[in-house]
Formats: sequence, C-alpha cells, structure tokens
Amino acid sequence: MPKTRSGPLLVAAPAFVLIAASFAASAQQPDRPLGLPPVPVPADNPQTPEKVKLGEKLFNDKRFSLTGEVSCSNCHDPNKAFTDSPLTTSEGINKLKGTRNAPTVVNAAYFASQFWDGRAQTLEDQALLPITNPVEMGLPNHDPVLEIVRTDPEYVAAFEQVFGKKGEEVTMREVTQAIAAFERTLIAGDSPFDRWYFGGDKSAMSEAAIRGFDVFLNKGRCVSCHTIEQDHALFTDNRFHNIGVGINRIQKDIPKLAPAFLKARSQGVDVDEKVLTDPRVSELGRFAITTSLDDLGAFKTSTLRNVAVTPPYMHDGSLKTLREVVEHYNNGGVSNPDDPVNDFLSGGIRPLNLTEQEINDLVAFLESLTSPRFAALQAQRMAMNPQACLVKPSRTTTAAAGAATAAGPAAATEGATP
Amino acid sequence: MSPMRCVILLAGLLVSLPAAADEFTEQDLKRWEEQFQAVVKQGRELWTSGSLGTNGVACAQCHPNAANTHPETYPKFQKQLGRVANLWEMVNWCLRNPLEGEPLAADDPKMIALLSYIAWERRGVQLAPGKH
Amino acid sequence: MSRNFDRRSFLKTAGLATAAGTLPMTLVEVAFGQSSRNFTFAYISDAHIQHIKGNQFVRNWDRGLIRAVAETNLLDPRPDFVFFGGDLAQLGTKEELDHGAEILSRLRGKLYCVMGEHDYYLDLGEYWSKLFGPHYYSFDHKGVHFVVLNSILTYDDWTYNRWPTAEQRMLEMAGLDNPNGSPFMVGEKQREWLAKDLAKVRKDTPIVVLSHSPLQKIYKGWNFWTEDAEEVQALLAPFDKVTVLYGHVHQIQYNKIGNIVFTSAMATAWPWPYPQSYAQVESYLPKLTVHMNRADPFFERDATGWQFIDVYSGRVAVNYNLYNNKARRVAYNEATGQPEDTQYQSPDARIPPQTHY
Repeated sequence: MPKTRSGPLLVAAPAFVLIAASFAASAQQPDRPLGLPPVPVPADNPQTPEKVKLGEKLFNDKRFSLTGEVSCSNCHDPNKAFTDSPLTTSEGINKLKGTRNAPTVVNAAYFASQFWDGRAQTLEDQALLPITNPVEMGLPNHDPVLEIVRTDPEYVAAFEQVFGKKGEEVTMREVTQAIAAFERTLIAGDSPFDRWYFGGDKSAMSEAAIRGFDVFLNKGRCVSCHTIEQDHALFTDNRFHNIGVGINRIQKDIPKLAPAFLKARSQGVDVDEKVLTDPRVSELGRFAITTSLDDLGAFKTSTLRNVAVTPPYMHDGSLKTLREVVEHYNNGGVSNPDDPVNDFLSGGIRPLNLTEQEINDLVAFLESLTSPRFAALQAQRMAMNPQACLVKPSRTTTAAAGAATAAGPAAATEGATP
Repeated sequence: MSPMRCVILLAGLLVSLPAAADEFTEQDLKRWEEQFQAVVKQGRELWTSGSLGTNGVACAQCHPNAANTHPETYPKFQKQLGRVANLWEMVNWCLRNPLEGEPLAADDPKMIALLSYIAWERRGVQLAPGKH
Repeated sequence: MSRNFDRRSFLKTAGLATAAGTLPMTLVEVAFGQSSRNFTFAYISDAHIQHIKGNQFVRNWDRGLIRAVAETNLLDPRPDFVFFGGDLAQLGTKEELDHGAEILSRLRGKLYCVMGEHDYYLDLGEYWSKLFGPHYYSFDHKGVHFVVLNSILTYDDWTYNRWPTAEQRMLEMAGLDNPNGSPFMVGEKQREWLAKDLAKVRKDTPIVVLSHSPLQKIYKGWNFWTEDAEEVQALLAPFDKVTVLYGHVHQIQYNKIGNIVFTSAMATAWPWPYPQSYAQVESYLPKLTVHMNRADPFFERDATGWQFIDVYSGRVAVNYNLYNNKARRVAYNEATGQPEDTQYQSPDARIPPQTHY
C-alpha cells in the first residue's frame, strides 16, 4: 500500500489502487488502454513489477534535493494528475520559481522526446536533469543520489533484486531506468472520446462534445498537430511549433537575444539551467536546443489527454482555462486579439473564425478526453470553477441558450455568480 | 417444363427482346465522352478561377495541371483529416484551408467537375490506393 | 549504447546532432582562399503578394515574406546585401508592389531586386522601376561581377498585340500552366548589353548572374524555360567561374551546363510540384538535383523559405532555410566540379520525403 504522505489521501488512495490494479492485470507488459497503442518500452529497460515499485519509491524520495524537501512528485503530484496544478510555473527548493509549467507524466511515455523543448530524448534522460537544476532539486551533481541508493538498506536490497547490482555498480543509469519504468505504467486512455470513437459507444460523448469533435477535425484544424489516427489517438505529432504563446513578450528583443544566447551556448553555458532560470531565454523554445531558426519560439505539441485536469496551459502556464486556449488559437496565435502576430509563427496557425457555439463545443470535446481515473478530479474542478467551461459572463444571453441545450452537467451551474 | 423446352423458350426471349443490358453504339460513346469532357473543361475553369474560396487563391496556383494531387492514391490515410479518407474530402480540406472557403458536397456539380479535371490530368497512372 | 551522464556534455551532443540543419549564425568564418574575398548575401524570392480587396491581402503569402525578412535580419554576422529574386506581386498591381515593398523595407541592409513576370506584365515594369530601379544592370562586389537580367520577357507580338487589355495580359502570364502563355527570354537587346558588359570583365573574374527564369530549358509547359538559354549560356561560357541563381520554380533545382553552375531559389509563398509530377508530359529535370522534401500543406510555410549564400573564392554555396522542412546546402564541389547537396547527394543518403511522384 502507498506510504503516508501529506495531502488528501482520499484522492491519492484510489489513484494508486488503480495504478497497482491496472499493472497487476498484465504482469510483464503495461496495459494498452482503449485509444492508445502499446507503450514503447526500450529493449534495454524491460518492465518488471519490482522495478516499477523501485521507480515509484525513487520518484517520491525528497532526499534527492538540496533541502531534502523536493522530489519528482512535488511538481508531478499523483493527486493532481502528476502536475502541480494550479501553479503556472513550477517551484523547486526554497520555493524558487522556474520558467515552465510542469507537464503531466501521464502518457509521457508516448513522447519521442521529453520537456517542452525536447531537450531529453527519453524518460531515462529526462530524470537526470531536474535533480541538478538550481531551481528544481538543486543538487550540485548526482553524487548525493548515488550515496543514498548505495547505502540506504531498502534501496540496496531493491537494486540488488531488480538489477542484480550493488555498491559502485549502482549508477544513475539504474536509477533513471527504474524511474522511467514506473513512468511507463502511468498511461491512461479509455476516455469518453475513446469509448465513442474507437469503442463504438454512441452514448459515451455529449452532443456538444460530438459537435466539438467536428470542430477539432475541420474548422479548428487541431487534428494536424494533435493527431488522431485510424485506431488510436496520441493527440501529439511529437513535433515543435511556435504557436505564439510567450514569444510575443520578447519579439522586439530577438535580434539581440538570439545571437547573444548562441554565443553563450558556444562558450559552454548550461542550456538546461539557462532555459529554466532566464524567462526571456525560455521563450526561445526549441531554438535554444537546436539553434535552428525554424525552431524559434517553438514548443512541443502536448498531448490533449486529460487536459481538463492539468491547467493552467502552455509552456509558461499563461493560459488559465481551456476556453482561453481555444481563443488563443481562434485569434490566430495571439492571446489578445489586438496583439500583432509574431514573425516566426508556425504556418499551421491562423485565425479560425469560430462562433461562440463552436468554441464552447470544442471545449466540451477537450473535456471528454479525461480518463476514468481522473474523472473525480475533473468533477472537483468543474464544481470549483464552473465558468471555466462556459461562455464568458459578458455573453450570457444567446450563448446561454446554446449552452443550456448542449452542455451536460455544466448546464446545471449556468447562471451561478462567479 | 423439360430443360430443353426451358432453353428454347429462353433463347427465344433473348432474340425477341429489344436492346437490353449495356448495349451502346459508337454515337453513344462519342456523346458521353463529349459530356464528360465538358465537365472536365468546367473543372479546369474552376481550377484556375480563384472563385472557389474567399481570398482569390486558385487551385492552379499550387497545382498546375492538377499536379501533386495524386488521385490514384485514394482512399488513403490522410494526416490532415486524421483518418482514411477519399479524394473529395481532401479537395474540401483545400477549399477550407488555403482557399479559406466553404466545403462542397461530394455530389455537388462543382465537386464532380473538379474531380473530373483532376482525374483527367492524371489519366494513365496506375492505381496505388493507400500510398502516402 | 554507452551514455555519458554528465549533463553538460549530454546537452551539447543533443545540440550537435542537429547542427547539419542549422544556419551559420555563429561567428564561424567560411574560410576558403583569400578571406577578404569571402562574403555572404541573402536571397529572398517569389513572394507573390496577392491583393484581395481594400486593405486585404492573402495572409498566407504575406506571412511568408514577413518571416523571411525577420529571419534575414537575424543573420549574424550581417550579410553584405539582400537580393529579391522576382515575383514580388501576384498580378503586378500597385497595391501589391507597395505592400511587398513595405515588407521588404524592414530589411536591414542594401536591397537589389530582380524582375519577375508577375511584376512585369501589367505595366511592363513601369511602377517597378519607380520602386526598385532598372530592370537589368550589373555591379562589382569584392572581386565578383554581379549581373541582374530581366529574363521573363517574351515575343513582342504576345506582349504588345495579343491581348486587349493589360490586365488580361497579366492574367494570362500569371497562370503557370496556361496554354496561352508564352516562353520567357532574355531577348536580343539585353544579350547585346550583356555581351558589352562582359567584354570589360576578365575571364578569371567570378560571375554571379541573378535571373528570374532558369536560363535553361527545363519544362516548357510551366515556363521553367528560357527560350534563348543557349545564346545566354554562350556569352557566359568563356568565364572560369559562373553561377546562375534563379527564382520562378518554387523548388530546389541545381545543375551544371558546361562550366556554368545553376541553382534555384525557393519561394516564400508556396512550393511547386516537380515537373515529373505531371503525368501527361515528358519533362527534364537536372539529374543532379536532390528534390526538396515534400510539404505538408497544413503548414503554410512548409517547403517555402529563403536562401543564405556564401561566396568563397568566387564559388557559391546556397543554404536553403526552409520552414517545417529540412534545411539544405548546395555547394560547389571542387573535386567533382559540380554543385552538390552537402548532405543528401549520394543515392544512399536520400530520405523518403524526397520522393516525388
């Protein structure tokens, strides 16, 4: 059973029971939930129950930080769908703020690269970097981690059992492999959309969500990056695009900022540290990793699965609600419709001319992408902030008429004062 | 009735009935070909007109002689639609997106004309359904 | 596979893996021969600014030119100048030329312009001259002789007598596949001017010719064609190092004829299919060319882009900066004596998106 931890146990317990149960269902192979392909597992890191358990322990171990207070689960909290919602950007040791919003670990196993800018290739690679980042776990290097796993009796036994290694043989390779193995069990499909689209259950999605799906495929143009295929939907093309979030803040400075960054980089500055500590460099996006002009301001396409329970949105957490997200796209890549579009905007982004109804329906569709294990969390959120999925208060009359017929449970809270 | 009498009766019927099944004459073929070519011509006009959308962009600007439309590869998985789809659906995608216009029904005369023109310019190319 | 877990070297390796597709934005010098004779310039072409009505222009083409200008402005160290390769407007109207000129005016540095047919056939280049100067000219820069030709002229009869209005004439020339079109040419008058201009140039002076049409005969149906290509090539043949840079085709092409190297520019507006994609005709595409990657039409900037050119020892390397697509570099190979893609020239190095059909 899960160890005691601070926070609402009521929500934590079912989540872990579900994870344990779903994992027990298939001893060697991870689940394949409805709507998802088999989880890619590297040949040199096969899944075993013991490795997963070890990985989970490491994931939650706060000793792997300078202050002994920060573990992976601080920013990737199982109770919050493995994010730190509602924080816009994450906080590490001593509440130091970074520049980026913590992505969920759920379904991260399907990404071809990790982090918003893809600077880590695999889950194993990703696990290394936060440990030594000054605003995350803040350790000077990985030695303190190795010290603990090589001497703590529980870890010693576990590493021996899982990898057949002890003492100096236990390296960060084994540590990150265990963490990655745990993360590969954090997969979730089987949402109302999956049941409706792949499972043939005509009653699984609301009318609004079904109309929203049509917007998603056609007028909204979402499907080209948030991909759906014939028998599964990852909702990500695993590519990087400048969609105009954040870069507008530095647009005038780019002619100086970009070359200055390249110079610093060629002189050996630590890119992982720089992007999380310098908010202006952070906006350069994948350019900071590849130095390709095509990647200026580009960030990885997120998966949309469980998006309703992982606000706020975008790499900087600047869009608070799904409605704001849809409006950003509807405006053609600016959050404020009066702002100019940035010069490096992806060719896939353009004004959409969606109607109010279409915007609401698209939001309803996005909300249908929540997997069952997070349904309770979603219900909690909707109860706390019903306006998040409805029209803006200033447009209640005609839109309300539409929303009342279309939306399901949300309609019950229509007219509630914000 | 005996089998032999069935056969004779049947044979008699065949001889005595007027033109049946798919009988057609040279003139029919010529006329139908002309009708088809008229639709192809209409398709070509639409192709170059810039009036299908709202921004004046014409199909021919990116697809001279309907090149790079690959009608022989449909149906196929179409990334921009997220599923296996047919050519007319991709024509509609182009109408919506680069031409910023409205889609047409599959049996809209304009759609038929566009598809006829596309197929005509690609005549002779082997079918390759599913090819990306 | 062994992994080095030092975070710094890991990130460096990750970056270098993609270095092949990046632009030389750092302070690295391209050093061949005399460094004072090496220089760079940017080459933006085929913007096709298209007017809808009032203040509205086709946003897709606008964004292509805007992005090319913004990225060119990021080049560090600065290029010596920028060339615009022709077809600034779609139908040659004043609105289109003005709008295009306004976007180009945001460029830092000197701008030279080349005439395209979409700029010319409405008013025969009258407004163009007011904005950008002469239709053909030459100049010298760091020991290289630059020649700019107006290579989209055509037979006088077609130009002056065939069409009832200027607008009609422009529309007919605007259709790439228009059977009523007419082949491009440099024409006798310009060839005479060129002969006189080149007479003053030493045979070992490198020459770079900027032209809109290819100065070759590639596919007549789409006017990837210059009617007097052989005559023009003959004028250039006596020189040791000649490079022709051309626009119009909206795709990567490169070739060598005799001792002349030809390299095309991409459009900022949209890509065109290769002539081989038209099943009803035979077409000739330079055998050397490794095709550009196919575009995903969802990304309006895919397979559009601009060029950054290094000139070293009088030879030219064209760096194609393409959006959502693979950056490419076509450089003169001293060993083989021909232009080659520095990454994909070998048949083993090709990748699936380079298959066009």
